[in-house]
Amino acid sequence: MGPLYHLGRYALLIKRAFKKPDRQKVFWRRVLNEIDKLGVSSLGIVLIISVFVGAVVALQAAFNMESPWIPDYAVGLTTRQSIILEFSPTIISVILAGKVGSSISSEIGSMRISEQIDAMEIMGVNPASLLVAPKVLAAMLINPFLITLSMAVGIFGGWLGALASGALTGEMYVFGIKSFFHLYDIFYALFKTVIFAFIITSVSSYYGYFVKGGSIEVGHASTRAVVSSSILIIFANLILTQLMLT
Amino acid sequence: MIKAENISKSFQGTNVLNDVSATFKKGQNNLIIGQSGSGKTVMMKCIVGLLEVDKGNIFYDDRNFNKMSFKQRKELRREIGMLFQGGALFDSMNVEENVMFPLTMFTKWTYKERQDRVNFCLERVNLNNVNHLYPDELSGGMQKRVAIARAISMNPKYLFCDEPNSGLDPRTSVMIDELIDELTRDFEMTTIINTHDMNSVLSMGDQIIFINKGEIAWKGNKDEILTTNNKTINDFVYVTEMAKRLKG
Ligand SMILES: Nc1ncnc2c1ncn2[C@@H]1O[C@H](COP(=O)(O)OP(=O)(O)OP(=O)(O)O)[C@@H](O)[C@H]1O
Ligand SMILES: [Mg+2]
Repeated sequence: MGPLYHLGRYALLIKRAFKKPDRQKVFWRRVLNEIDKLGVSSLGIVLIISVFVGAVVALQAAFNMESPWIPDYAVGLTTRQSIILEFSPTIISVILAGKVGSSISSEIGSMRISEQIDAMEIMGVNPASLLVAPKVLAAMLINPFLITLSMAVGIFGGWLGALASGALTGEMYVFGIKSFFHLYDIFYALFKTVIFAFIITSVSSYYGYFVKGGSIEVGHASTRAVVSSSILIIFANLILTQLMLT
Repeated sequence: MIKAENISKSFQGTNVLNDVSATFKKGQNNLIIGQSGSGKTVMMKCIVGLLEVDKGNIFYDDRNFNKMSFKQRKELRREIGMLFQGGALFDSMNVEENVMFPLTMFTKWTYKERQDRVNFCLERVNLNNVNHLYPDELSGGMQKRVAIARAISMNPKYLFCDEPNSGLDPRTSVMIDELIDELTRDFEMTTIINTHDMNSVLSMGDQIIFINKGEIAWKGNKDEILTTNNKTINDFVYVTEMAKRLKG
């Protein structure tokens, strides 16, 4: 099956998922559930990775920019920009694609092979609306918070790294953090995050929803979901950066 | 009443159903029998629309299913209950939530009213005090019974059962058969059952169709099946040692 076949089937699934829900109350309760499942459970991994990467970025900046021509506060500035513009929105999203994407596609995939999705269909319930849409919405709502948190924690990690490097004072780092700051950068990063959240959840749902066969195929589907959504994120990142920063 | 008219279905060139016609009557058990792989599940899935037929028409009391819009089909499905071969219980929900699910989606009842209905259905299938267990905490027979309770929760006019007693011990199978039989008569449902269990065939076969090589090879009822001279059906019925000896 060619890419056009997948694209068409994907578009139909998304269209069906965002039809008017059979029951508003049930739908929104599921959205809340998913926020809890997708968001809160990812908090730990996001925080840990962010603080360490922030520290490493600052350390690298401090070691590689030791020159009389570059002011000390450049370490803070570089760290902040790296984290806000790319690390938090893009790299954390790719990490979430691995964690959230595989769990979504195996959850929906195992419902498919055990005929739970057919059972909903037979009852006259729209399974796409009940299974796919809440996950997509939840991630689009909660990921911006996760990423904002990642930015804050990453910059804090950078402060620890800067101090550890001994190359500059904490005050200098903080001064760097505050220099040449544009609010637009945050907006840009969060906008990307929302797009990436859509990609992760919808693509992973797609792979799970159309599984055929048994548990081995569910495993394959979740691998494919992670690979495809990671590649799509990186690709979308290129396009969005082109469009929004130039 | 459900009528299938000249339905055909093939997968990648292999014909599974070939011009099959049958009428399934109201208030009785309509059995579809045949060897494993003969197309019983495919036939049932074509009738409920989980598979699209290549050719032919399906009528639910004179409503042509194939001519219905997506929305009309959705409406019709609220009159259908289906028991899947594997149970298909929602494993993220407990027993009560499973049976309540269709009620929550489609009725405006209060929680109390829905709960009463759930308990009524669970009592019908002889299950008590399991409301808060999850499907993986139940035995196979209990799962089947919960699935039946879920299938009848909306008081369906049409009930589909795909091998309701496969993988169960004889006593539990008989119990499930009796249960389906009782429900069919009490609620005047049009019930279609796939099976290859000869005991079910003989105890509940008000109407039987035998599928062989994609075609209906024989039609009749539970008495006729023992007296017929049709060779294909005899080969199917008298395949076990026990049956051969009884025939003598
Ligand atoms: N989705 C599908 N794609 C391709 N072939 C299929 C599909 N579903 C069923 N078949 C084929 O159709 C034939 C009939 O299958 P079906 O499941 O209807 O058998 P069955 O009579 O229900 O058997 P059993 O008693 O074992 O459940 C089989 O040969 C099967 O390989
Ligand atoms: Mg079958």
